[in-house]
Amino acid sequence: MIGLSHYLILSGILFSIGIVGVTTSRNVLKILLSLELLLNAANLSFVAFSRFNGDYTGQLVVFFVMLVAAAEVAIGLAIVVLMYRHAHTVQADDLKDLRW
Amino acid sequence: MIPTIHWNLISLEVYLSFILALLIVMDILIPKNSKNWIGSLSFAGLLGLFLLWLQQYQLWGQTFGGMFIVDSLAWFFKGFFLLAMFFVFVMTHQFFRSMGQRRDEFYLLLWSSLLGMLLVASSADFLLLFISIEILTLSLYVMTAYLKSDKHSIEAGMKYLILGALASGLFLYGISFVYGASHSTRFAEIQKFVMASPQDPMLLFGFILIFSAVGFKIASVPFHLWVPDVYQGAPTPVTALLSVGSKAAGFVILLRLLWIVFAPLHQQWAVALAILSAVTMCYGNLAAIPQKNIKRLLGFSSIGHAGYLLMGAAAGSTLGGGAISFYLLGYLFTNLCAFLVIVLYFAAAKSDEIADYSGLSQRSPILACALFLALMSLAGIPPLAGFFGKFTLFVATVQSGFIWLAFVGAANVIISLYYYLMVVKKIYMDPPVSAYPISVSWPVRLTLWFAMAGIIGIGIFQGPFLDAALAAVKGMF
Repeated sequence: MIGLSHYLILSGILFSIGIVGVTTSRNVLKILLSLELLLNAANLSFVAFSRFNGDYTGQLVVFFVMLVAAAEVAIGLAIVVLMYRHAHTVQADDLKDLRW
Repeated sequence: MIPTIHWNLISLEVYLSFILALLIVMDILIPKNSKNWIGSLSFAGLLGLFLLWLQQYQLWGQTFGGMFIVDSLAWFFKGFFLLAMFFVFVMTHQFFRSMGQRRDEFYLLLWSSLLGMLLVASSADFLLLFISIEILTLSLYVMTAYLKSDKHSIEAGMKYLILGALASGLFLYGISFVYGASHSTRFAEIQKFVMASPQDPMLLFGFILIFSAVGFKIASVPFHLWVPDVYQGAPTPVTALLSVGSKAAGFVILLRLLWIVFAPLHQQWAVALAILSAVTMCYGNLAAIPQKNIKRLLGFSSIGHAGYLLMGAAAGSTLGGGAISFYLLGYLFTNLCAFLVIVLYFAAAKSDEIADYSGLSQRSPILACALFLALMSLAGIPPLAGFFGKFTLFVATVQSGFIWLAFVGAANVIISLYYYLMVVKKIYMDPPVSAYPISVSWPVRLTLWFAMAGIIGIGIFQGPFLDAALAAVKGMF
C-alpha cells in the first residue's frame, strides 16, 4: 500500500536533487532546470497532502505554482539569451565581473 | 454560496490594476517619439492611489473569505510602499533621461512591483502571499537585467534570478509542509493549529524553510550572498527599490508571521533570531569597510541594517515590532535620499566609484548636503531619523533581556560610522575631480528637500511617527 510517506519521500528526493543541481551545476540552463525541480517537488507534496488530508486547497495551489514557474523560466531564459549575446557563454563561472 | 466581496477594502489594488492595464494599452498605441505620457500618468496615478489610501484609514476588515485583510499594519505599510514608489519614479525619470533613452515600459514594471508589494501587505493566506511575492520579485528580476547593453546589469539579473528562485522554491516547499500539518493555507487556521500543537515536526520544518526565504528578502546573513552583486549591477532606481521596498516587504511578512501566525514559536526562536541579528550586522558593517563602489557600499550597509532590524524581531514585544516599523520609515527617507543623490551624480559624472565623489561639496552643495545627512542618519547620529530608530530598537532589545545584543548593536554603529565618514571626508575635504558644477532641476531639488525634511523631521518630532508605527503593530489581526 502506497501511503503519504512514499509521496513525501519522493518529493524530498526531487527537492534534494534540485538543491544539489542548483549549487553544483556550472551551466546556467541546468541551474534553471534544477530550479524547476524544486517547485515541482513542492507541487508533489502539495498534491499528496491534499489527497491524504481530504482538502482541495493543495491542488488549487499547484495550478498557481505552475503559472509562476512558467513565468520564472521565461524570464530566466530571456536573461540567458542576453548573457549569451554578450559573453558567448552560458557557464555560471563566467559571471564574475561583480567582485570586490 | 458566494461570499460577499468588500470592494472598498481592495480598492487600492483594483485601481492600481486599472492603471497598469491602461498604461500597457497606451504603451502600445502611443507613438514612441511623442511626449512622455506614461511617466506623467504614472505620477498622477500615484497621487490618486495616495488619496485612496488616506481614505482607507480605519477601514479595517477582511474579504475573500479571510484571504485578504486590511488592518493597521497593512495600511501603514501600503502608505510606506506608495511613498517609496514616489521616490523611485523620480529616480527613474532622472536615470533614463541621463542615459538619453526613453524607457516608458520601465514604469509598467515598477507598477507591477508596486501591485506585488501592496498585496504582500494584505495577504492573510499563504497562496496569496506566495503569488504576491512572485509578482514583486519577477518584476524585479526583469528590472535588474534591464540595461541590455550593460554586462553588469545582465550578470546581476542572472544572479538575482537564480538565488531568488531558489528562495521561492524553499518558501513553497515550506508552505507545503505547513499546509500538510495544519490542513489549511489560511493564516487564521494555521494560527489555531500552532496554538494547539506548536511542536509538530512537519510544522517546524515548514517554519524553518519559510523563514529562510524571508531571510533572503530582508538580506539577513546566510541568505545575503546576492545583495552586493545585485545592488551594484542593477540600474540605480532598482537598487533603491530593492533596498527599501523589497526589504520592507520582507519585514511585513516577518511581522505578520512571527507576531501573529507563529506567535507561540516566537519566544522559542528568540535566541536564534538574536544570534542571526548579531551575525548579520557584524558581517554587513565589517564587509562594507573596504568597498570602493558606492552602490556596493550601500549594499553591505543594507545587510547591516537588516541586522539592526532583526534586533526588533528578537525582542519579540509590541515595542520591538513598532521599532521595526518606525526604523523602516526613517530608513525609507534616508536610503532613498542617498540613492537619489547617486542617480543625480551618475547622471553628471557617469561613475559610481567613491573616489569620483571627492569634492562634491564644491560642485553641488545641495547634493553634498543631502548625501551627508543621509549617511549620518544611516550611521545613527542624533537628531536624525536613524538615531531614534536605532534607539527604539535598542530599548526594545534591552527590555526583552538581550543586553548583549544591544552592546553588539552599539559596537556596530561605531564600525559603520567609520566607512560612512570616509565617504563624507571624500565629499567635503578632498579636492574635486572636475570643476564643473552639477545643476539640479527644481522638481528634483524639491524632492531632495522633501527627503531631507523627512530625515530631520522624523528625528526631531519622533512622537507621532512612533505612535503610528506602534499602532500599526498593536492593531494587527
